[in-house]
Amino acid sequence: MRTSTKAKLSVLAVLAASLFASTAQAAVTVLGWPGGSEETALRAAAKAYNDLSTVSADDKVNLIFFNRDGFYDKLQADMAAGSNAFDVNLLATYAIGRYAPYMEPVDLGPDAAKVFGESVLKTMQFGGKQYGVPTDLSLHFMYYRKDLIDALLKDDAAKAKYAEISQKYLGKALQPKDPDSWTWDDWAATALYFTKSINSASPVRYGTVLQLKNLLFNIMVFQSLPRSYGGDWMDAKGNVTIDSDAYKTGLKLYKTLYDAGATPKDSLSYEYPETNAAFGSGQAATALQWNAAAGDLTDKAKSPAVADKVGIVAPPAGPVARADHIHGLGLGLNKNAKNKAGGVKVLQWLATQDASLLYAKSGGSPALAPDVVAKIATDRPDLVQLGKFASAYGYVMTGGTSANALSVYELQAKEFTGYWSGQESLEQALANTKSGMEKLLK
Amino acid sequence: MDIARRTEWKILASPLVVFLLLFLGFPAIVNLIYSLSQVSFESLRSPTLTGPQNYLDVLTDSSFWSACWFSLRFGLITAVAECLLGLFLAIFLAPLIEKHSFLMAPLMLPLMVAPAMIGLMYRLVLHEFVGPVPYYLYTFFGDSPSFLNADNAFWTLCVVEALQWTPFAFLLFYMAYQAIPLEVRQAAQIDGASPAQILRRIDLPLMLPTIVVAFFIRFIDGFRVFDNVYTLTGSGPGGSTTSLSIYIYEAFFKQGAIGKAVAASVVLFIASFAVLFGLNWLANRRRKAAA
Repeated sequence: MRTSTKAKLSVLAVLAASLFASTAQAAVTVLGWPGGSEETALRAAAKAYNDLSTVSADDKVNLIFFNRDGFYDKLQADMAAGSNAFDVNLLATYAIGRYAPYMEPVDLGPDAAKVFGESVLKTMQFGGKQYGVPTDLSLHFMYYRKDLIDALLKDDAAKAKYAEISQKYLGKALQPKDPDSWTWDDWAATALYFTKSINSASPVRYGTVLQLKNLLFNIMVFQSLPRSYGGDWMDAKGNVTIDSDAYKTGLKLYKTLYDAGATPKDSLSYEYPETNAAFGSGQAATALQWNAAAGDLTDKAKSPAVADKVGIVAPPAGPVARADHIHGLGLGLNKNAKNKAGGVKVLQWLATQDASLLYAKSGGSPALAPDVVAKIATDRPDLVQLGKFASAYGYVMTGGTSANALSVYELQAKEFTGYWSGQESLEQALANTKSGMEKLLK
Repeated sequence: MDIARRTEWKILASPLVVFLLLFLGFPAIVNLIYSLSQVSFESLRSPTLTGPQNYLDVLTDSSFWSACWFSLRFGLITAVAECLLGLFLAIFLAPLIEKHSFLMAPLMLPLMVAPAMIGLMYRLVLHEFVGPVPYYLYTFFGDSPSFLNADNAFWTLCVVEALQWTPFAFLLFYMAYQAIPLEVRQAAQIDGASPAQILRRIDLPLMLPTIVVAFFIRFIDGFRVFDNVYTLTGSGPGGSTTSLSIYIYEAFFKQGAIGKAVAASVVLFIASFAVLFGLNWLANRRRKAAA
C-alpha cells in the first residue's frame, strides 16, 4: 500500500516537473499573424532566437496563432478583457489607435532606425510613441502578363482594336503602353481589351481580376485609385472629403470594368486567395494584388501557368500622383504581459539587422533600409521593389491611424460594394459613407 | 416531514439555481445595462447610461430590418425546402434503406461537417477557376453563371444550407415513417385505399407532429444562421447577405457599437419569446378544444 502511494506521488511529481519545465521553456508568448509567409518567417525567427546561447530558458519564445478570420476583433476582445495569454502581440498600422490603450510603448534600441528607416518605423507609431517593431510591410503591386502585353505592343491591328474598345467603353481612343507608365485609364483599357466577351481574339478570359468582396482589406487595395486622383479621407480642417470627384472617378471606373465583364462574374465574393487563383490560372491579364502574392505567383510549382510570364510594377498613376497604399504589420508589447522584460528583449532582437535579414530570407516582407536590403537582393528581389515603391509612392490616408480606422474601411466596404453590385446609387453610397465617417472620425 | 422534504428540495435545487443565476442571470442583467448605455471596449467596466437610444438606433436602422428580412426569408425557405426534400426521401427511400441499412451512413455525412467548413468548401467548389461546378458548366455549356453575385447569392446560400441539413429532416421523417404500424397500412390496403390515399390519410397525419417539430428546429437554425453564410459571402455586397446574427456580430466587433449590438439581440430575444409564447398559447387552446 505504502509502495503504491509512493509510486503515485512519484508519477505526480514527474508530471508536475515536466509541466513546469515546458512552461519555463516558453516564457515569452508571441501572438503572430496566422497563415502565409508571415507565419513561416516568424516561426523561423523564433527558432533562431530560442537557439541563441544568450537567451535564458525563462525568455524562450512560444508562438500562438488565431485564425485570420476576425483576427482583429478577437484580439481587441482579448486585450480589452485584460488578457495575459500573450506577452507580445500582432499590431497593424490601421489598428494602432484601437490597441494602443492596451499596449505599452517600447524602445527598440539604437539600431532600429538604421535597419528600417524612420519612415517605416512610423508605421508602428501612435501619438508619437513607438508601439512595435515593423515586421512586414504590405502594399500593392500591379501584376500583369508580360507575354500578352509584349504581343500587344508589337501588333498594329491589335492597337487599332485597343483604341476602338477604349473609345467605346472609356470615351477616349487610347494606345497601348508599357505597364510602368500606365495611367488608370490605360490599365482599364488593357483590361477591357483582354476580356474575351469584348474582344473574342483575347487569349485570356478576363482582362483583370478585381477583389470586390465586402471586406476591409479589399478596400485598402482600391484606395490607391482615388488617391492618385487627389482623394483623401479628410481635409486639413478635419472635414470628411470622401464624396470628392476623385472617389467618384475611382468608384465609377471599377463599376465600368465590373459591368463590362472585364473581371470574373463572382468578383463581388473575391478576396486575396480568389484573386491569386484567378490570375494564377492564366485566365486574367492583370491583377492589382498585395505584394505578398509575388512569391506564389512567380513560383513555378505553385503557379505553373504564369510563373515565368509575370511582370510587376507599382499601381498606375493618376493625374495628381502615383500612389501605393501602405499597410504595416508588426509586433508590440501587451500591457498585461506576464513577462514584459522578456517581451522587450524579443522585440529589440527583431529590430536588429541579423534578425530582420533572417526574417526576410524566411519569407517575411520587412521594409528595410537600402543598404540593408542590398544584402539580400539576390534572394529576395521583390523586397527591393517593396522598399522602392514604399518610399516613392507609399501613403497613409488622413485619419488612417485613428482608433476607428478599421471601422471606416468596413463602412466603405459595405457602401462601395453596394454601389458596384448595383444595389445603391453612387451618390447614395457616398452620402452614407460620409455620414458614417463623420461619426467615426469625429 | 413536509419541512424535511422542502429543505431537501431546496438543497437539491440550489446548484441549478446558482448555475442559472451565474451563467444566465448575470449576463442577462449586464446585457440589459449595456443595451441602455454608451459603451465601448475601453469602457466595458464603466458604461454610461443613455436610456433607450440604442434601441432607437436599432429600430431606425434600415440595415437591421434588411437583416431581419434576410433571416426570416432564409429560415422559412430553407426549412420548407429541407422538410419537403426530407419527407420525399424518407418515403421514397424507405424500402431501399430497410433492405440496406448501411445507406443511412453516407446520407448522414453532410451533418458531420461543421457549417463553417461547408461555407469554405463551397468557396472552392463554386470558384470559377478552381471549382468543379463552373469547370463542368464551362466544359459542357461554354459558360457558368455567377453563383455569388448580389442577385444569386441568396439562392446559392439557400441551396448550400438545404444540401447540408436535409439529411437531418430526412432522419426524423424516416424514423417517424418507420414507427407507423404496418397493420394500419395493410388494413387500408385491404379496404382498397390507393398508395396516394394511404400517404394522405394515414402516413402524413401520423407523421405531422414530427413534421412540425422538424420544421421549427430547421426554421430556428436557419433564422439564426451565421457560420456558412459568413465564410461563403461574408455580409455580402452592400450587406445583401447580412443575417441577424451577422448584423449583431458586425455591430459588436466591426463597428465597436456594443450597446447597439446588445440592444439588437435584446429585441431579437423579445421577438423570439413573443413568437414562442404565441405558439404555446395556440397549442394550449387546441389541446383544450380537443379535450
